[in-house]
Amino acid sequence: MRSSALDKGLRTGVIFGIVIAIMFLIGFTVTGAGLVGKLFGVSSSYNTPPLTFFVIFMVLMGAWAGITAAARSLTEPDTLKRALTAGASAGAVSGLISAVVGFIFGTLNANAIDPRTYLPMVSPESTKLFLMNQSPLTGSLMLLGVLTVSGAAAAGLSFYLRTHDGVKSGARNITESVRKTIRSEGVARVTNSPYARYGFWLLVAALLIILPRTWGGYWNYVFGTVGIYIILGLGLNIITGWAGQLVIGYVAFFAVGAYTFALLTAPEPHNLTMNFWLALGLGVLAAGISGLLIGLPILNLRGDYLAIVTLGFAEIVRILLKSDLMTEYTAGPRGVRDIAGPTLFGRSFVSDVDFMYLIIIAVLVVTFIAYRLQNSRTGKAWYAINLDETVARATGINAFASKLLALSLSAAMAGLAGVLFASRNQFTGPDDHALMVSINVICLVIVGGIGNIPGVFLGAFALKGLPEILRETENYRLLIFGVLLIVMMRLRPEGFLPAKRPVLEKSAQTSSKEAQP
Amino acid sequence: MDKPISTSTHNKLRLERYIRTAIGIVISAFLFWRIYNVVVLQQHFGADTWVRFGLSGLILGGMYALIAIGYTLVYGIMFMINFAHGEVMMLGAFGGYFTFEILRFIPAPTTASPDLNFLNANPFLSVLLAFVVGITISATAGFYLEKIAYRPLRNAPRLILLITAIGASTILQNLAMLLFGPQRKNVVNPDVLDRAAGWVINVGGNDVLISYTGVFSLVLSTLLMIGLFILVQRTKLGRAMRAVAQDKNTAFLMGVDVNDVVSKTFIISGALAGAAGVMWSIHMGLVNHFTGFLPGIKAFTAAVMGGIGNIPGAMLGGILLGVIEAIGPAGMGIDFQLKDVIAFSILVLVLIVRPSGILGEKLSEEKL
Repeated sequence: MRSSALDKGLRTGVIFGIVIAIMFLIGFTVTGAGLVGKLFGVSSSYNTPPLTFFVIFMVLMGAWAGITAAARSLTEPDTLKRALTAGASAGAVSGLISAVVGFIFGTLNANAIDPRTYLPMVSPESTKLFLMNQSPLTGSLMLLGVLTVSGAAAAGLSFYLRTHDGVKSGARNITESVRKTIRSEGVARVTNSPYARYGFWLLVAALLIILPRTWGGYWNYVFGTVGIYIILGLGLNIITGWAGQLVIGYVAFFAVGAYTFALLTAPEPHNLTMNFWLALGLGVLAAGISGLLIGLPILNLRGDYLAIVTLGFAEIVRILLKSDLMTEYTAGPRGVRDIAGPTLFGRSFVSDVDFMYLIIIAVLVVTFIAYRLQNSRTGKAWYAINLDETVARATGINAFASKLLALSLSAAMAGLAGVLFASRNQFTGPDDHALMVSINVICLVIVGGIGNIPGVFLGAFALKGLPEILRETENYRLLIFGVLLIVMMRLRPEGFLPAKRPVLEKSAQTSSKEAQP
Repeated sequence: MDKPISTSTHNKLRLERYIRTAIGIVISAFLFWRIYNVVVLQQHFGADTWVRFGLSGLILGGMYALIAIGYTLVYGIMFMINFAHGEVMMLGAFGGYFTFEILRFIPAPTTASPDLNFLNANPFLSVLLAFVVGITISATAGFYLEKIAYRPLRNAPRLILLITAIGASTILQNLAMLLFGPQRKNVVNPDVLDRAAGWVINVGGNDVLISYTGVFSLVLSTLLMIGLFILVQRTKLGRAMRAVAQDKNTAFLMGVDVNDVVSKTFIISGALAGAAGVMWSIHMGLVNHFTGFLPGIKAFTAAVMGGIGNIPGAMLGGILLGVIEAIGPAGMGIDFQLKDVIAFSILVLVLIVRPSGILGEKLSEEKL
């Protein structure tokens, strides 16, 4: 009989081996090494990163495999031998798979066969790095060695850390003392006093006023985008987070807002050149009405249909905007140019700083509306529908009307974001409204915490701000989003900052569940 | 409360049904008028063009039907939209493409033609191999998709399952893009199955080409559909699938291994999607990471149109959608760029007029 430690190690090893092989095939090994380099302060965006960083990257992968394999099991006693067996076998198997892949491509390289016709990301440089600048055989053996050793070492280390009381209680003491300080009376008195709160908000306001002036154009652009995505996220949060109806084609409302605004203010193709504020209002209104019209036939059906119909609607909008049929009205694939910027009291303000202020104000207004909605009767009705529509109806909530209201409010917020987006870029085209935008917004709402307003802020900063800082991951962004979605759904479906309300009502919820077998 | 609640609800439902019917009648009258105008009065196209459109619609419809069956099977059992199903089909298409590419490099010289390759030396074996590879890849993808992504969330709310499916779809699509590159790849068929070759028939004085690949796809998809129908109606697995679709808990109590049935359902739907994918690469000849996306959504439309959860409905819906999409733009006298718009508009219209689909039974509100 095979020992379960070895079995676990083999299985983990196969998974990690396949992951490493795929990483190599999509060129992520180079990017990963570059990221490790960035961690050490060495930037290598446009050339191959040094070998050291690649080795560190592989050691990290091996360590991850080892720790995963050596995790405590319920069936076997937790011994050092078991941890080492599992860790080493996981490292060895993943190393073996990577070594085979490396050997194949190294040999191809040595015989001057370029695999890039079929696998465009497998460049000779990347293969060379993968084989640690050695010949195919030596390189793949070294790969095997590095992964095995790091797997075993990490497994041993993790075993040592979780069995030795010294380490464990030390860590516990630190967290305990930190917690005690935070919860102590003095701290509580300071944080709970109104002055502290005023001071905090004053600080935030000061930062919001000062920062856009000192940041420079690039950061204003990045955080302007973050702000627009916060508005989008808050909007989607209403229909998806609170009312529980998934909308995949959310970008359609974004497009409706942006295009309404663009066509009303741009000199071409209609030459209406309307006032900024009036056009903004009309853009938001048009988006809201489009949400209403989409919702009318669909919202009394089950939730999944709404997801697909809005997806179809988004595609229809994009195709129509792109088609020759509508070129006369929407400027076709070229997009609309020279969209107006905001004016106030006759003075136009279109600099990046002014726009940052405008976006900040819009975010504040939308956040305020969202907070008011959350605690209103309507907000409670949405929660009720989300939890159980039948029960919500039985308590006298008009589910259809509530959902319709949620959808058109969401759409209106998306319209506002679209207006700001079009006005800031002074251009909008069909490609600004690809499905990717919707998936981004869904991701940020989920990662932050479905149904939670601070969560949307966190999600927007994490998903739109971080990729700007980690520019190397550009190509892999969508792939990472996909992985993130699945991992979040499995491990933490409520997001990083979970919504508070369900927790408050947990006791009521569980008791009702017990009563109903 | 002077009148009973039930009456008012009843009236409201009746009213809603009348409104739905009325909208349906108005829309079909408009469409009829428009098509009559274009086809009979204006006569832009001759009979040969309509035959050509109809044929390509049938062929496309066969593929849609195969994919739509996958949606319907999974929906019937799990009540979830397997959003990644189109991507499973894309993997099958890549399987077919790579099989042909590999076989093209294997030399099989004969005395008559020394630089013959395996692909052209054994075309039927090659096509068979392509199908085996494509179907295996897609079925495996379907199996692991369920096992890794969906099974741990079996009892989670629907929203979470749907988001997971979107995540899986994004992963598969982008993985394929990063692995194989974003550009479209030309699928080189064996010479026997040249896309320009076929029977030529004469319709109204003009020649209409019926390509071999088209006939091949149509025949194969019909055979697969018959096979599936027999599998679901006549075998023990089929009976277990129907039982699980009706009531998971009762089926479990009757001794049906629910997990096993769900796994097998995903394998079957993956295999059908894989076959559709290989057909796509043989008949359409262009494959990239985005190949599965539109057919996937359209097949979902087809499944909804036929009545989701209903297997004959999915077949009918797929073929109908293919034909409508092929002759729709010409029939209504609009731009061919807008054929995707037609498919999505049909989805919206079906949901407005008859949410349970053409063949769908009257579903309870919970299911609908």
